[in-house]
Amino acid sequence: MPTTTAKEFLLANLNKIEQIPSIPAVVAPLLHYLEQPIDQLDVQKVVDLLAQDKSLTAQALHLANSPLFGHWKKIDSLKGTVVALGFQRLREIVVSCSVVKLIPLGTTQLDPVVFWEHSLGCALICRHFARKINFPQPEKAYLGGLLHDLGIIVNFWIIPKEFGTTFETARNEQIPLHEAELRVFGMTHCDSGRILAERWDLTPDLVNVVTYHHDPAAAPDHKSLVALVNLSDLLCRIGGIGHGYSEMRQVSLLDEPAFSVLIQECPALKQFDWARFTFELEGYLDEVRSLVRHLYGTA
Amino acid sequence: MTTPALRPAASVPLAGPPNAHLVKIRDLIYQVAGIFQPDNKLRFLEDRCQRRMKEVGVATFRDYYDCLTVKPIRQAELVSLLNEITIGETCFFRNQAQLEALRKIVLPKVLEAKGKLPLRHLRLWSAGCSTGEEPYTLSMILLEESVGLLKGWTFEILATDLNERSLVHCKQGAYGDYSTRNLTPFYQQKYFVPAGNQLQVSPRLKECVNFSRVNLFDDARVAFMKSMDIIFCCNVLIYFDVVSKRRVIQHFYNNLLPHGYLFLGHSESLYGICDDFRLVHFPSATGYVKAERQIAKR
Repeated sequence: MPTTTAKEFLLANLNKIEQIPSIPAVVAPLLHYLEQPIDQLDVQKVVDLLAQDKSLTAQALHLANSPLFGHWKKIDSLKGTVVALGFQRLREIVVSCSVVKLIPLGTTQLDPVVFWEHSLGCALICRHFARKINFPQPEKAYLGGLLHDLGIIVNFWIIPKEFGTTFETARNEQIPLHEAELRVFGMTHCDSGRILAERWDLTPDLVNVVTYHHDPAAAPDHKSLVALVNLSDLLCRIGGIGHGYSEMRQVSLLDEPAFSVLIQECPALKQFDWARFTFELEGYLDEVRSLVRHLYGTA
Repeated sequence: MTTPALRPAASVPLAGPPNAHLVKIRDLIYQVAGIFQPDNKLRFLEDRCQRRMKEVGVATFRDYYDCLTVKPIRQAELVSLLNEITIGETCFFRNQAQLEALRKIVLPKVLEAKGKLPLRHLRLWSAGCSTGEEPYTLSMILLEESVGLLKGWTFEILATDLNERSLVHCKQGAYGDYSTRNLTPFYQQKYFVPAGNQLQVSPRLKECVNFSRVNLFDDARVAFMKSMDIIFCCNVLIYFDVVSKRRVIQHFYNNLLPHGYLFLGHSESLYGICDDFRLVHFPSATGYVKAERQIAKR
């Protein structure tokens, strides 16, 4: 297929974006509400907003009780979640539950369990990484990691056949998905993701993550957040929670463009223990898999 | 028959927040020995600590932490704990991801680096080979590649250890069930012959490996191991103090050719030991290359 055809085809089929299941109605208002300074936030207001969606509430409580969200004592209410874990963690939990079912089980082109293991794994690594290197805006790290591959969801819904072909190419050649996309499509899931991110009215930093996570230096703004997600994504893919296959290559993180971007914001990266961080990832995998299985109701 | 005490670590979730002193012990082990137990292996660490605690007669992790840090037995006790953590790990094809990286990524890169040289010969060193499973595994992999990637190349595998009894075992080349548990029928049939209830390494495999006794503290002897393409030193350096570790790593740096690779144990790190090596990632595995080579590439 000529490299421009898929791009044109995607743009011509943008109306199909309506087919993508919507995220719960409470999510966008919640995200915007939580952008305000913390001393202006009202716990009860947040609880009342979320309580409108009972299914979301139930899922959120399950995640709140996972050690990956940092709490061992049992939490049995939304208010308890906010009080025990804070607004930031609640935001992470709510968005996680909201997006996970955007890909139905039983599809052939994209295994939703694999996809969300990757996204949730990336989210947790971003959060962990941000904390370790004293990243200035850690509260967005998790969401950036969770949502970075939205474009894959777009491609799955709008151009499923072409998406399937690209995925098979990447898998068979054991190369990164975005490299296969460039070769087959002339564009990547970053381009498609931007469309959905803007449609969902995500905040500008998250739109930039979705759009530029494979080319952080090109981001017009929030470069360091984008670079953080880029490196976390890479660590996931090379560490066994990628897109369901191994990218057969050697990666030198210090040579990655994202490293040069991120170290400007976070000098602590100079002394970063990459080996230990890599080993720590192993500790997340089982819990990530368990969480995703639960969210799909297949536990 | 599988010996339960020797089973490799399983991922078992903890029932509650990890014990603070257990985490301190985990961090101490990493700081002193360079080997890391991730959170999903803390139950395993807990089990191993409890065995040692019974031996030394302490009841709490807090007291055991003191045994490892302030009590006179601390050095010996750390060795005992490390032995408990790594026991039962040695076997054929122990670290599949590392071996896959060797075969599909590292070997092609090494061959590319050496391709223009007249001598098409590879040298690998298994430093601290214990009872021989590692060097024999490397041999099998290289022999399998000899009709493909390594066509026209020769290779030698040098396998060294300090322990005489281990070296005798290597040269005899007879292995039981536990050690051969990861051998597929393909490898068993091609490179081993049955010998009672054990498997005996075939002559073809034996002739690829040169076993000798080398003490990694013996500077003159180690300096002699020149022109290596790849060094494996898995779960050996964890027993060395920082000064000794640095010395051995510096030797490895000099032993390796510019394109050379150093592989350590699965959860073993050189952090804080040496800046001359740079960490690289492979699918579910890590290794080290010479740092100056990375700088030169930029």
